[in-house]
Amino acid sequence: MHEGLLVNLTVFLTRIAEFIFGNIFIAQLFIVLLEIVVIFAVISLAVIIQVYMERRICGLIQDRFGPNRVGPFGLLQTVADMIKLMSKEDIVPAKAEKLLWGITPMLLFIPAALVYAVFPFDNGVIFADIGIGIFFVIAVMSQGVLLFLLGGYASENKYSFMGAMRAVAQMLSSEIPIAFSILAIVMMTGSLRMSDIVSAQSGIWFIAVQPLAFIIFIIAMLMETNRTPFDLVEGEAEIIAGPFTEYSGMRWALFFLAEYTNLLAAAILTVTLFLGGWQGPFLPGISWFILKVFAVIFVFMWIRWTFPRTRIDQMMALSWKVLLPLALFNIMATGIGIYIYKWIY
Amino acid sequence: MQGKGLLIGLSVTLRHFFSRKETVQYPEEKLVMNDLFRGGRLILNEKKCISCKLCAMACPNEALALTVEIDEQKKRHMKKYVHKSGRCLYCNFCVEACPTKAITWDKNYEIACYHIEELTYDAVKRNKEDENNEY
Repeated sequence: MHEGLLVNLTVFLTRIAEFIFGNIFIAQLFIVLLEIVVIFAVISLAVIIQVYMERRICGLIQDRFGPNRVGPFGLLQTVADMIKLMSKEDIVPAKAEKLLWGITPMLLFIPAALVYAVFPFDNGVIFADIGIGIFFVIAVMSQGVLLFLLGGYASENKYSFMGAMRAVAQMLSSEIPIAFSILAIVMMTGSLRMSDIVSAQSGIWFIAVQPLAFIIFIIAMLMETNRTPFDLVEGEAEIIAGPFTEYSGMRWALFFLAEYTNLLAAAILTVTLFLGGWQGPFLPGISWFILKVFAVIFVFMWIRWTFPRTRIDQMMALSWKVLLPLALFNIMATGIGIYIYKWIY
Repeated sequence: MQGKGLLIGLSVTLRHFFSRKETVQYPEEKLVMNDLFRGGRLILNEKKCISCKLCAMACPNEALALTVEIDEQKKRHMKKYVHKSGRCLYCNFCVEACPTKAITWDKNYEIACYHIEELTYDAVKRNKEDENNEY
């Protein structure tokens, strides 16, 4: 396996930092901080690209062009929107729990950004390659539920609260199929470490070995990230905007940011678990990774602009009565498969 | 089979994703109005016009104010053909009333203007201005 381009860059920067600070500890601390900044920069850039992509794909599917006026090909549309949102008046509802209401959008971004610590972007390019990587992702991703509930509760608005209740119901019922579909992968690799999961796919991608787990995972991820056909949390026609109803301007933009950060995380997770991560011929790992991630994001957006929203009971039924039994069956089948495999060889 | 409809739906949207787009990029490209479109300003063909004033008589809103001059050979000439487009309801009666088909619409839909005076114009004067511009 070739050493990644970014690994060499990090080593190079560490040397430079060591030369400047004259102390290896400070140099390494500096590099860690730099990596955090890079991750945040990557998230922000990816969110801007995703919002543009979403609007463009939506337009193209609906026989329109989408944004194409601001900047070349409309690329600066998201930037213009962000400036608009930042310059908007900060409206605080009179009856809201001001402190909770105010900190929720900021807190929501934390679990969304935290999972990026364990994503392998390239060979060896991983902020923290901890032994329980995938478990950490599941644990941290589900923290978002609390903040949806908090935001909906603090808004003191019936639609917000209803949306928050829905968010809890929806995310709880999506976590379990996600966890069980990932379990099949973990059974095959025998490790929770993200880099091990990627390197286990050097021969064959897990999408070919675990197609059922892949489908369950994709559907449950759509639920987890609140995307149509499962965007019941903010279902406009029923509950205005769910937990986001009372938020506007910059605070709403933070919700938006967290939403697209979660979408990117979902795409990265799909690529890492099922599509071989950064692995691929000819091109460097990071470019394969970016290509695959954006292909998965395209699929998510394609699904979003194809299907109408389901009802809440349909979604719950799908999750608990279809996805969960299928995921359990998949685990059993995987177990039997592994047993037979070991028995033959 | 369960889920077949989902795949059909996805194929439909993918087809539309690559298909020709319906949006007209307005200031750069403009739609061509069809023959039945009534709107814009009236164009008076002075060679065809016999100054009979039938158009002004047909007008239900008195949007046309015409001035006709009779010369020494007792021939009628259109001096002024004032169309008050602010009063006009674009009913097409004037065009239909014309025995020589001398008036037509220019089918220009960008007729919004800042001042009320700009709504009233003289078709004869415009013809002369156009002639001057051409030479």
